[in-house]
Amino acid sequence: MSQVYPDSPKSVMQVLADETGGKSYKAHKYGLDHAERPFIDYSEDTIIWERTAETNPTKNYVSLEKQALDLALREEQYLTYFLDGSRRVYKVDDHAYIASGGRSVIYPIVAGQIGVGCCKRENKIIKPERFMREIVISVPDIADADGRPGYFKAMAMKLSELPVLKRMGIEIKHIIPYSTKTDPEKFEDRGTAKIQDEMIQCEKDMVAELVKKGMLDSEHYLVKDGSLEYRPTKDIIADKRKSMIFKNNYNYVLGVSKNFNPEICRDVNGKPNPGYIAELPLYHRTPVACYRPNYKGVESDIRFAVWYIRLRDRSRTRTAFDGVIKVEKMLVTQEENEYGIDSDLVNMLSALLINERNPVCYGTDLRWANHLYPVYLTEKYVKSKYLSAESFLHLF
Amino acid sequence: MNKLIGRVIATEKWPTTMDKFTFWTDCNLKLHAFDIVKIEHIEGSYSYGVIENISHITDAESFLTSFISSDFGNAEVEAPTLRVGMNYVEASISFNDKNLYTPVHSGAKVYLASPDEVTKALGLNNIQNPLVCGFLKMYEDTDAEITLPVQLNSKFILGPEGAHLNISGISGLASKTSYAMFLMKAIQEQFMTGSQGDDESVAFVIFNVKGKDLMAIDTANDFEDDGEEERQRVLEEYASLGLSGQPFRQVHYYIPYYSNMTEKRSTYLSKEDVEDYIRDGILHKFKYSYVDDKESLEMLFADIDDPQQTMEAIISKIIDANDPDFGGISTWEEFRDKVDELSQRSQPSGRGQQRASNEISVLSWRKFKRIINKATKNDEMFANRANVNNSECRLADALKHISANDVCVIDVAKLPEEKQAFVFGDAVRTIYNLKLGEYDGESGVNPPTRIIIFIDELNKYASKDTPKSSPILREILDVTERGRSLGVVLFGAEQFRSNIHQRVTGNCSTHAYGRTNTIETATKDYGSLPSTYKNMLTRLEQGDYLIQNPIFRSLLKIKFPKPIYKQFKK
Repeated sequence: MSQVYPDSPKSVMQVLADETGGKSYKAHKYGLDHAERPFIDYSEDTIIWERTAETNPTKNYVSLEKQALDLALREEQYLTYFLDGSRRVYKVDDHAYIASGGRSVIYPIVAGQIGVGCCKRENKIIKPERFMREIVISVPDIADADGRPGYFKAMAMKLSELPVLKRMGIEIKHIIPYSTKTDPEKFEDRGTAKIQDEMIQCEKDMVAELVKKGMLDSEHYLVKDGSLEYRPTKDIIADKRKSMIFKNNYNYVLGVSKNFNPEICRDVNGKPNPGYIAELPLYHRTPVACYRPNYKGVESDIRFAVWYIRLRDRSRTRTAFDGVIKVEKMLVTQEENEYGIDSDLVNMLSALLINERNPVCYGTDLRWANHLYPVYLTEKYVKSKYLSAESFLHLF
Repeated sequence: MNKLIGRVIATEKWPTTMDKFTFWTDCNLKLHAFDIVKIEHIEGSYSYGVIENISHITDAESFLTSFISSDFGNAEVEAPTLRVGMNYVEASISFNDKNLYTPVHSGAKVYLASPDEVTKALGLNNIQNPLVCGFLKMYEDTDAEITLPVQLNSKFILGPEGAHLNISGISGLASKTSYAMFLMKAIQEQFMTGSQGDDESVAFVIFNVKGKDLMAIDTANDFEDDGEEERQRVLEEYASLGLSGQPFRQVHYYIPYYSNMTEKRSTYLSKEDVEDYIRDGILHKFKYSYVDDKESLEMLFADIDDPQQTMEAIISKIIDANDPDFGGISTWEEFRDKVDELSQRSQPSGRGQQRASNEISVLSWRKFKRIINKATKNDEMFANRANVNNSECRLADALKHISANDVCVIDVAKLPEEKQAFVFGDAVRTIYNLKLGEYDGESGVNPPTRIIIFIDELNKYASKDTPKSSPILREILDVTERGRSLGVVLFGAEQFRSNIHQRVTGNCSTHAYGRTNTIETATKDYGSLPSTYKNMLTRLEQGDYLIQNPIFRSLLKIKFPKPIYKQFKK
């Protein structure tokens, strides 16, 4: 890391290869994202209905039609902020590094644009509130030959100084190493996962910022697109105080997922029972279940309350799972952890979410049946801020 | 400081061009068609655009999206979030202050314009020989509302650069007569104050075709129905346009003659009014004598099909001073007797002498007789002579002596259609001949440089269906085609412009479009207007006009104040 490239005509990848002692193959650059379409998320979660997380436990579906109507008539609205993070990931190069035995191994270099946006609803109108963009690169961990701490940070700063980036006012925020250990998972997917993790971190940062500014309270909830099941970091798990702050941030945050794995829903006997969600009647919710994420064998003390709501009539949607959203809320207080969330609060929040069923983004988004319009707008807002794929790939 | 209202949009499908552009703006901002906006352009210049259309869009991809957003058709459902929507405005470029007409750029700032900028953008500044033709309003019903007087160059409406005005619009909703009267009032006032130069003068010949609408234009409007407040407001409007708010001056009324002995009347004016006017010396009853007016007889045949030209042949025979049959005739009575005789006689008479009348069949004579009798028999207007001591006159004689700033109102409202045509045709011919210099040798003939003839229901005389042989159409074509240089100016009004002979409308320099209907706007006469303007024409308010004149850069939507002369209750 001795050379400086003030007016270097070299590309970012070339400089990265030179600096890390690799060889750039100038491979074909392309996007790694898939088209947005409805899918079933067969992730490894487990939710067991046996443990309820609400004060009035029930085994039946709860009808919210009347409450939703009443709230709509009174125009009561507590869902004020909407947050969505997204990333676009591209394979921008292949670098060869000499591994043990002198053989050279080729690793993909993955770059991503991360955007996290928050919108506020005022008088029924959605306005942008905050936006954060990051450009990151994920490289194989062996790119750092010495394994010194701070190596990638310094490298990111160096690359950001290159004229090709400087000219456009673009900064490479992080270079994140992905593991090269033997594993069936593809390297590209590992890089993508790292960028995904970074995006989640950005989302967490934004939530923390909103909380810090005192913007969230019992009348101003934040609805976040996707799951809340953030894996707390090791130090948060270890540190009770940090853990408490982390949890407090999420007191007024709802995670609403369009996609979920129906298989994870198990009945009291521990058998998968996806039919339980499929048969959820219109404008009803399921009982609230409790879930404690388990991260690499370390069980965190953070629990989530999870329930499902049907927004659309089954006869109007393609599959039985279209029109159902999964809602998560973190259990924050001691009381909540012990007795579960107040069922009245669950009902009210669910009714508010039911009222969010209109307007729809039918025609512009295939996931219209599960999308909440303000979230959809936030997503559009974030995406409108991206560099186009062509411009982005040209940077490398 | 101009108010920033939006930014220009240019996309692959909707590019900005040298004369069109689109910009987005807030959905709740009130803008109207014809409003002017100012756009930032290259090299520090500003372009100005006229709004043509405003559209509102949302992110709903189809109608179905909206339907589904109401729980599949429940109209009661209120959504907690409003769909994202915006207005985009289509406008056409009217002007750039540095003459840079390259397309405006995407993202260029769009502002509301100031009064000065609006004047400049529309080409209303530095107008020579200004003649006020109304006022316009920009950004109506907003805080930024602007009212500006609109002036045109009088040389482009009264000649010699351009002449004639055509006003079209539905009766009762377009106020065609009121607008023509407003313009003539403005013209009279500006000529009387001498602002048009000493060598120019003007006079007016107006035909009253409906009730007694124009029979009191020298009397002030009392605003009986509207009240004092309205009167003040109208007077202020006149003052803001630089006009006095006084009714017409130097007005002379001409009504068809009728005897005081009979109950029959030829005008809608009351007996008292007629007497008052006569006492004031401003009203004359006109007559037609056979000796002087036989040449105008053809006007009675304006609408009669004459494919063999037999009627024309008869008329030329009559006006032939040496004709054996009609040569010595001096009264209508004798004339009718002679026609009667000719239509009875079986011809040829067999005297061995070849007569011109031999060529005309007795059937034609009978047709001629029928028309002549219907028109002249039992009508005191067709008399032996006019007794000038009795406030009577020959209309042509009166018109010959028209002088600067005179307003002659000829009342034909109560006459049947063919006689209206007769009076109109005779008057137009007299004015035309007067300006041609035919009467220059006669004493007291000193015509003004410009004479304006105003006729409502122009379609009666110059429609597309009028027979080509019509002498009145011929007169009107002469006036519209040659009047510009001669100084005869036609102000014509009609309901449907598409009905009017193309050579008439084609020669008008100024066009005023009032409210009309969709059938009319669908005709090709309106083909050049953007569809928004066409639709606008169907819902213009009373007193609103779209004006087209060569000196304006684009069509202007103007308003004019209520009439300042006496209005009779409808």
